[in-house]
Amino acid sequence: MLPKSDNIAAIATAPGRGGIGVVRISGQNLGDIALNIIGGLPPSRHARYTPFKDADGLVIDQGIALFFPGPNSYTGEDVLELQGHGGSAVLQLLLQRCLELGARLALPGEFTQRAYLNDKLDLAQAESVADLIDATTSQAARSAVRSMMGDFSRVIKQLVSQLIDLRMLVEAMLDFPEEELDVPDFTRRDAKLAEIRNDLQRTLELAQQGSLLREGAHVVLIGQPNVGKSSLLNCLSGEDVALVSEIPGTTRDVIRQSIQLNGVPMHIIDTAGLRETQDAVEQMGIARTRITIQKADVILLMLDANHGISEEDNKILAELPLSTQRLYIFNKIDLLQEEARTETIDGNEYIYLSAKSGKGIELLRDKLLGVVGWHQEAGVFMARERHLTALKKAQKHLEDATYEGDRAELFAEELRLAQEALNEITGEFTADDLLGEIFSRFCIGK
Amino acid sequence: MNYPKEFDVIVVGGGHAGTEAALASARMGRKTLLLTHNVETLGMMSCNPSIGGIGKGHLVKEIDALGGAMAAATDEAGIQFRILNSSKGPAVRATRAQADRALYKQAIRARLENQQNLWIFQQAVDDLLLDGERVSGVVTQLGLHFYAKSVVLTTGTFLCGLIHIGLTNYQAGRAGDPPSVSLSHRLREMQLPIARLKTGTPPRIDGRSIDYSVMLEQPGDTPAPVFSFMGRIEQHPQQLPCWITQTNSQTHDIIRGGLDRSPLFTGVIEGVGPRYCPSIEDKITRFADKDSHQIFIEPEGLTTHEVYPNGISTSLPFDVQLALVHSIKGMENAHITRPGYAIEYDYFDPRGLKKSLETKAISGLFFAGQINGTTGYEEAAAQGLLAGLNAARHANNEESWCPRRDEAYLGVLVDDLITRGVTEPYRMFTSRAEYRLQLREDNADLRLTETGRKLGLVDDVRWAAFDSKREAIAIEQERLKSIWVNPAMLAQADAERVLGKGIEREYALYELLRRPDVNYAGLMSLPCAGTGVADAKVAEQVEIQAKYQGYIERQREEITRQENYENTSLPQKMDYRVVRGLSIEAQQKLNLHQPETMGQAARISGMTPAAISLLLVHLKRGFNHAETNKPVTEKVEKSA
Repeated sequence: MLPKSDNIAAIATAPGRGGIGVVRISGQNLGDIALNIIGGLPPSRHARYTPFKDADGLVIDQGIALFFPGPNSYTGEDVLELQGHGGSAVLQLLLQRCLELGARLALPGEFTQRAYLNDKLDLAQAESVADLIDATTSQAARSAVRSMMGDFSRVIKQLVSQLIDLRMLVEAMLDFPEEELDVPDFTRRDAKLAEIRNDLQRTLELAQQGSLLREGAHVVLIGQPNVGKSSLLNCLSGEDVALVSEIPGTTRDVIRQSIQLNGVPMHIIDTAGLRETQDAVEQMGIARTRITIQKADVILLMLDANHGISEEDNKILAELPLSTQRLYIFNKIDLLQEEARTETIDGNEYIYLSAKSGKGIELLRDKLLGVVGWHQEAGVFMARERHLTALKKAQKHLEDATYEGDRAELFAEELRLAQEALNEITGEFTADDLLGEIFSRFCIGK
Repeated sequence: MNYPKEFDVIVVGGGHAGTEAALASARMGRKTLLLTHNVETLGMMSCNPSIGGIGKGHLVKEIDALGGAMAAATDEAGIQFRILNSSKGPAVRATRAQADRALYKQAIRARLENQQNLWIFQQAVDDLLLDGERVSGVVTQLGLHFYAKSVVLTTGTFLCGLIHIGLTNYQAGRAGDPPSVSLSHRLREMQLPIARLKTGTPPRIDGRSIDYSVMLEQPGDTPAPVFSFMGRIEQHPQQLPCWITQTNSQTHDIIRGGLDRSPLFTGVIEGVGPRYCPSIEDKITRFADKDSHQIFIEPEGLTTHEVYPNGISTSLPFDVQLALVHSIKGMENAHITRPGYAIEYDYFDPRGLKKSLETKAISGLFFAGQINGTTGYEEAAAQGLLAGLNAARHANNEESWCPRRDEAYLGVLVDDLITRGVTEPYRMFTSRAEYRLQLREDNADLRLTETGRKLGLVDDVRWAAFDSKREAIAIEQERLKSIWVNPAMLAQADAERVLGKGIEREYALYELLRRPDVNYAGLMSLPCAGTGVADAKVAEQVEIQAKYQGYIERQREEITRQENYENTSLPQKMDYRVVRGLSIEAQQKLNLHQPETMGQAARISGMTPAAISLLLVHLKRGFNHAETNKPVTEKVEKSA
């Protein structure tokens, strides 16, 4: 984390052609840049339509200039936004001009970092902004917005406040053994603990869903070239998202594809690409893929009802961990005039469908989402790995917390550690705050 | 006149802070002068006649481990001893004693009078002698000038003390003693940050006028515990019980009827009182739905009939006090010997102190006790000991010492005071200590006595006793680790009796002792266990250390993570406005506190992780570079 108070600038809009393009500059002294490009700083938070000029006074573009003086700006510093026309050439010229005038090209995420360092955002919020920018799917974007608005922080805070309530009872009992504390409160101790454990579990699930939205799931697809994999993928992903090839040009066959299933990114590795090859570049790609499939979340084994599993498929199947869940797909039921259905035989899931007609594709979609752990529901948080770690840590301490009279202090210790884990997400809660809770609740003092 | 003898250390005040400070300094061989306005009140307990309790007992054991007087004096003066929380685990277990006031004073006085290098002089102090920003001595009421390299102020509630009983108030240090007005004014002139606090005390009662037959008897523990690591049960005088009664709705009505003449509720008292030790009028107002509050009748001593009704501290007018006392069961005919009162007094914002308790503003001037916004004999004594030892080291041009938060409650106390300041009289609670599991009463000696010895606070007798205890623990731990039991060696009946069930593989005895349900005595009853240790204290230590090992190790990791921060010093008298990007609020807080380390800075309330990372970056870049940074200073001026 290197806070700099020099001026930083960057193109704030996505690369490519767009109607509007924005160059954002943040720093502590923007006067010089403003003077040279637009003749001076515009009035605070008022749009000014103005030409943007280059070093020779020639007009680069014509657009809106907005000035947000710190600390009431995104970064907490002075921020100047130059909104011109989209198109990389024009924006590049404008950015170049800012750099000539002493600004430095911003590092990725540096605007958000400054916002965080200037206390404009808490850590959870700052990370959500990065998620929003990174969000690859619309679901993920919605979830990121929710975290940024503080939904995640709010749920965690609610959890912490329940925990404080319980800790207050326990600590009051330890520090004030001679006071007549309200006994009914303390007998509710176990119920309270169970409630907190449940809520934490629920929050963790929602957070894990968020993590799934961000990271996606890895799916290994095994099947002969003619078994109908392409049509299956197209059918699965629906019409709104096009197939994307991640490593184009390294092999003749596309071996990795990403599709979206209800907004969850599914990274699909087609093992048909894992063929013997002499090409060095291709070999490297294949080696990397082999490592990836070891960590896959689910294996799709696609079969033509008329053919069995090939030698090649069997070899690949043998490489994969037994613990990875497998789904067996029997395609082309339309040819056999069978009904779409699922069966569970010896713990293996069999799905009968037709990728061509789309019959049974819903069954597969549900199974697949179920296997990777996605439950479509509201209130999913875009959680960071850091959040999951903290939540799991808190969960561990709450599980270890068992109240036994002669070890009450150990119970208290686990609760303290659980709270400390949650504090990593929301910020500190001091011993003094806890004592404050005790004194406001109980009449302490002989 | 200038007093002919020069001292290393002058301690002003003869309460619990002052006496421990003077004794510590003198034990370390420094020529020490204890100045008190009245020799007869040395070691006086101004409030309730009790020492120790949860968190406080921990402090007393720490004072003792560093060679201090409080625990030993309590062993000689205690008329009831109890272990609180005895069934909730060793870390929250705490010793408390009711003490005979006269015996306690006597025990402290004897120690002071027999301490080498210590001189006592009776005279109130009116002024400090300064040499630039250094203290050089004090001036007494008579105009005597005493010179010393260090001065410790332990003035308690005496600075501008103002006693309230009803709407009547008068200046006093405590009931019966004059306040320190000139000294207070002098300190105010020095521009040290000063504020007001309030505390209170209940009316005292003649025990002969109480009907104990309707009260609940609360005896001490048998066998009575001892306080000092060097203490013996035979030192205890005769033991007495306490008694429990309670207020009722009639009492509460009487109190409500007097609130219009309460200095607390009419706004006469400005100082902030402690939330954990409220007056009875405060309790019934804030917790209006409670129809009864407990009162503990505590004996004041063996040679007096006076008792202390703990739980009805009040500053209501005397007629209300009389009526409310008479409404309580068993006190219908009680005779009040001294009215209850509230006292307001000056204290100094402890954020102006270094962790040695030396003031940041004046070199060689140390503050300890209630002057720093704390309450309680134990908190005062602990600070006194620390201030005294650091004043002695300062006089000898030595580095200061203060235990860390993971080493002692004393460390927690000082760190809380200097980083967070106080908003009410500060009292110790175990919940303040994040490393509570390792800051136990039972291991206070193991935590501190070795350091105390190095500092010159611990005498040969205590050192020898400690050393042999520590060695016995280590030997026994090694022995238990070296004895292995396998399923074949262990009779099923023995296994079930001691371990609850059989073992499935070979274990060292030490591993078995770590199990929650296994105790040392039981383990030693196994035929294969050999002969255990006879000393109960050694056995207790071996058992607790085994049981808590996992938790302690986990806390160690936490401590190691913190250590970097604790070891990163910050420059003193630094202007934090030069730190790039720091919010104005953070700048102001840091400028006010002037923390000594990054760890202290992080614990200042309201400091954000962002601010700390900015500070770290700033430190890395070096302060000189930043001070010449023009744009930042311009920015600061603009927004200031």
